[in-house]
Amino acid sequence: MMNIKAFTLVCAVERELLVAGKECVSIECVECCGRDLYVGTNDGFIYHFLLEEKPVPTGTATFTATKQLHRHLGFKKPVNELRAASALNRLLVLCDNSITLANMLSLEPVPSGARIKGASTFALNENPVSGDPFCVEVCIIPVKRRTIQMFLVYEDRVQIVKEVSTPEQPLAVAVDGHFLCLALSTQYIILNYSSGVSQDLFPYCSEEKRPIVKRIGRQEFLLAGPGGLGMFATVAGISQRAPVHWSENVIGAAVSFPYVIALDDEFITVHSMLDQQQKQTLPFKEGHILQDFEGRVIVATSKGVYILVPLPLEKQIQDLLANRRVEEALVLAKGARRNIPKEKFQVMYRRILQQAGFIQFAQLQFLEAKELFRSGQLDVRELISLYPFLLPTSSSFTRSHPPLHEYADLNQLTQGDQEKMAKCKRFLMSYLNEVRSTEGANGYKEDIDTALLKLYAEANHDSLLDLLVTENFCLLTDSAVWLEKHKKYFALGLLYHYNNQDAAAVQLWVNIVNGDIQDSTRSDVYEYIVDFLTCCVDQELVWAHADWVLQRSEEVGVQVFTKRPLDEQQNSFKPDDIINCLKKYPKALVKYLEHLVMDKRLQKEEYHTHLALLYLEEVLRQRTPASSQGAETTETQAKLRHLLQKSDLYRVHFLIERIQGAGLPMERAILHGKLGEDDKALHILVHELKDFSAAEDYCLWCSEGRDPPRRQRLFHTLLAIYLRAGPSAHELTVAAVDLLNRHATEFDAAQVLQLLPDTWSVQLLCPFLTGAVRNSVHARRTMQVAVGLAKSENLIYTCDKMKLKRSSVRLSDKKLCQMCQNPFCEPVFVRYPNGGLVHTHCAASRHTNPSSPSPGART
Amino acid sequence: MRKPDGKIVLLGDMNVGKTSLLQRYMERRFPDTVSTVGGAFYLKQWRSYNISIWDTAGREQFHGLGSMYCRGAVAVILTYDVSHPQSLAELEDRFLGLTDTASKDCLFAIVGNKVDLTEEGAPEGREGEGCSPRQAGGGPTSPRVPKQVRLEDAMAFYKKILKYKTLDEKNVPAAEQMCFETSAKTGHNVDLLFETLFDMVVPMILRQRAEELSQTVDITSYKPPKRTRSGCCA
Ligand SMILES: Nc1nc2c(ncn2[C@@H]2O[C@H](COP(=O)(O)OP(=O)(O)OP(=O)(O)O)[C@@H](O)[C@H]2O)c(=O)[nH]1
Ligand SMILES: [Mg+2]
Repeated sequence: MMNIKAFTLVCAVERELLVAGKECVSIECVECCGRDLYVGTNDGFIYHFLLEEKPVPTGTATFTATKQLHRHLGFKKPVNELRAASALNRLLVLCDNSITLANMLSLEPVPSGARIKGASTFALNENPVSGDPFCVEVCIIPVKRRTIQMFLVYEDRVQIVKEVSTPEQPLAVAVDGHFLCLALSTQYIILNYSSGVSQDLFPYCSEEKRPIVKRIGRQEFLLAGPGGLGMFATVAGISQRAPVHWSENVIGAAVSFPYVIALDDEFITVHSMLDQQQKQTLPFKEGHILQDFEGRVIVATSKGVYILVPLPLEKQIQDLLANRRVEEALVLAKGARRNIPKEKFQVMYRRILQQAGFIQFAQLQFLEAKELFRSGQLDVRELISLYPFLLPTSSSFTRSHPPLHEYADLNQLTQGDQEKMAKCKRFLMSYLNEVRSTEGANGYKEDIDTALLKLYAEANHDSLLDLLVTENFCLLTDSAVWLEKHKKYFALGLLYHYNNQDAAAVQLWVNIVNGDIQDSTRSDVYEYIVDFLTCCVDQELVWAHADWVLQRSEEVGVQVFTKRPLDEQQNSFKPDDIINCLKKYPKALVKYLEHLVMDKRLQKEEYHTHLALLYLEEVLRQRTPASSQGAETTETQAKLRHLLQKSDLYRVHFLIERIQGAGLPMERAILHGKLGEDDKALHILVHELKDFSAAEDYCLWCSEGRDPPRRQRLFHTLLAIYLRAGPSAHELTVAAVDLLNRHATEFDAAQVLQLLPDTWSVQLLCPFLTGAVRNSVHARRTMQVAVGLAKSENLIYTCDKMKLKRSSVRLSDKKLCQMCQNPFCEPVFVRYPNGGLVHTHCAASRHTNPSSPSPGART
Repeated sequence: MRKPDGKIVLLGDMNVGKTSLLQRYMERRFPDTVSTVGGAFYLKQWRSYNISIWDTAGREQFHGLGSMYCRGAVAVILTYDVSHPQSLAELEDRFLGLTDTASKDCLFAIVGNKVDLTEEGAPEGREGEGCSPRQAGGGPTSPRVPKQVRLEDAMAFYKKILKYKTLDEKNVPAAEQMCFETSAKTGHNVDLLFETLFDMVVPMILRQRAEELSQTVDITSYKPPKRTRSGCCA
């Protein structure tokens, strides 16, 4: 069993003061009330001392007792018990089976001579029920009668209030409210003296050992049990604390929270009520009185009085912590909550939790440590400061004093054990990561984040990047040095960026890509830079690195221009500047122009012509080596054709010139089409390319979105080309038939029929003819309907006109304009269908008449 | 210290293994024990309830404390040693009477401990054979012996208890549910024992609370113990 030093024993009244040479005199009883100490002797004397506590800064207080008075009770009987009732200024004195009242200062008996006779022992109710401040409640055990009696004791009188009989002779009593805890001859009981109900606690043989009954707090008693047990019992008759284990021959017990103190012939023992463990043993011979008075514990032998001075709880707790007895220290601290003012307690308790946390930490009990740090609201910098170099050099932190632990740093704590060190670092990482987002981080977020960054960098931890791309408080200079040291250049770039030093950031990354510095954090730093520049608002920075990114990859590099966020594009980068810059990078230039023409739909001739030209050049270049692959050729070519078809902005003549003789008939056809030279275009398609479906397509796309006659004209032109060749060109004849059958509706049938050779059978042109007939019938019928409708509409209007003309309107001086109420001066007016007449100017000023929105004007 | 919501008490002759059972359950280990002096208790958080489990001393000397420990208990675990028939008899002779102070609907569990010592005992005993210095006082040490007390005997005793308490079999858990054979040494059935009881005890705690609420609490007048909860500042 490990001990703590909870009390020291100091002498209060030395024997010389008391007995002064009279060897036979001995101390019988003691009472202490504040600074007043009373001692009763076996020869009928009461002594009054004044106790003076002399605090010693380091160590235990000492006491001196100065004798005030002493008085002899008048007969040579021992003074059995003394109790002070300070509110009444009375001392209750039990001597010779009778309780008398004496003045606390003069020790004189009260003049009234009030007394309680026939008492063997008595107890004051420390939890009184009467509510009268001018009396005390006293329970007495009468001599040789199986009863107890309750008295109210006033300044100079006593009054019995209750007598309750008990099953056996009571021997000792303690009182709490209405409850008496009684030691009877064979058992302890709880007795409610007001209701008379009693409750057995447990048997006890009083003949073998003197019982002890001691009130230890509200509704709880401490009793001497079998086998030297100190038993706890509540007024409800149950035990809420496990018993403490005393020696078999205890003679007295007292409580000084959180300790239970017991006295036997050789020792004073101290047990904790919190964990029932024995905490301290003090050798003390021939003691026969042990009592506590409002927290002050006094022991006495027959010759001297001593005080058990408790060591400050904090000191005890520190001792426990020093011995790494965390559990006990915390129990003790928690137990002290009731006895220490709240604020003071909280400060103290937090500190203990923190200290305990460091003890656990040092034993690598991280879970426990974390919990203690958290509940102790540890300033995390205390923890960080254990790790060398983690706190930023600028940090103003100094460790708390007195220190929370004994370690200079982690090296000392782990004694250089690398594995332990790594564990500690991992713990700190996870701990800081948890802490940084909590309130506990307020005020020193910089220190936390910088430390975290350092740990991550050192451990090559993935979270380093996460830390830097999210909100953080890493200090630039400190972090930069550290990242450089650990070759975390990519991260360093992020740090620069976070600190608005984008130029430095990009330069660093460029250096990584160039291989000037080594950092394998990411393999796609180049792409990262491109993305970064794409979103970068600093134009100069983008220009500064434009060449570099394009040199590495034109297709990817150009993204810094083409993929810029929309909102930003408008007023910043000028396309012409970019085009100028991209001159050296043809692939990039094509991409950029595509971006302008297709994505942004810029309607600028230059861009369109430029793009078409670039496509063309590319197509031409790819054609020169005859062996080149077909697939790619068509891709650029397809792009070219698409552009030529869709755009109306490029310079057609210019391109036709360029394309002349290049062997690109399709493209030429498109260009001719753009110029409206359909005949030329179609001629190329039909005769040069012999691609009839392309010719048909041409008719379609060329007329797309134009007026219908143009389309018809195109189809007729194509048909004419087919037919012109004559029947010998069999191929074209078939094409002509197909064209007619497929696009029957595009032709003017009547015109076509005249063109067709007579030899063609109706069968051959069946679909065309059916279509044409349907068309024409349909057209005729539609027209008929339209004519009918127009006629009926005309009739309706004629009818209206007739009606209006039928009657006449007479203007006179009496007729007033309905709007301005003035007479008409000229024979001009407006008449509404409802008959109302107004001036023309009035009607004009107010267009609508609610009842007739369509005025019929008439002169 | 938080005030417990319900109390479970372990009773039984000395050396049957009460302390060992509790330590096995609470601390998941089987250390050497010393004969318990007086009593001790553990607090167990079960769901949102605090249950106190009292370990009592089997020694004759402390017998008198039993009634007080049992006062207001919601469950009593009567423990015997399967290799020691007398320990079952003792339960009836000495311990059953102590439970008179328990709560009126108190549950009873009969637990035969040390099954690892018997032939048909739980086979999972892997730890070294009983090397406890106190073995002499209890059942015989290894090698295994025939089981001395059968589970049926325990069940018969359970039914006796019901008679003694004048409880109707229909209103209380069946004997099969309340008789356990355990080994603190191997851990056999130990969790089952305690957790079965906790689950049964929770509704009782709720019922007691409801009863308390329905009464006007008058702290100045004395209440019969089965209903009163001490108002001690805990
Ligand atoms: N083989 C075996 N031995 C056990 C078992 N349980 C307890 N023991 C042993 O039995 C002895 C007594 O155990 P305790 O738990 O101290 O018994 P107890 O019932 O608490 O005894 P008291 O405190 O005196 O009432 C110890 O030596 C234990 O090691 C068990 O399940 N198997
Ligand atoms: Mg035990």
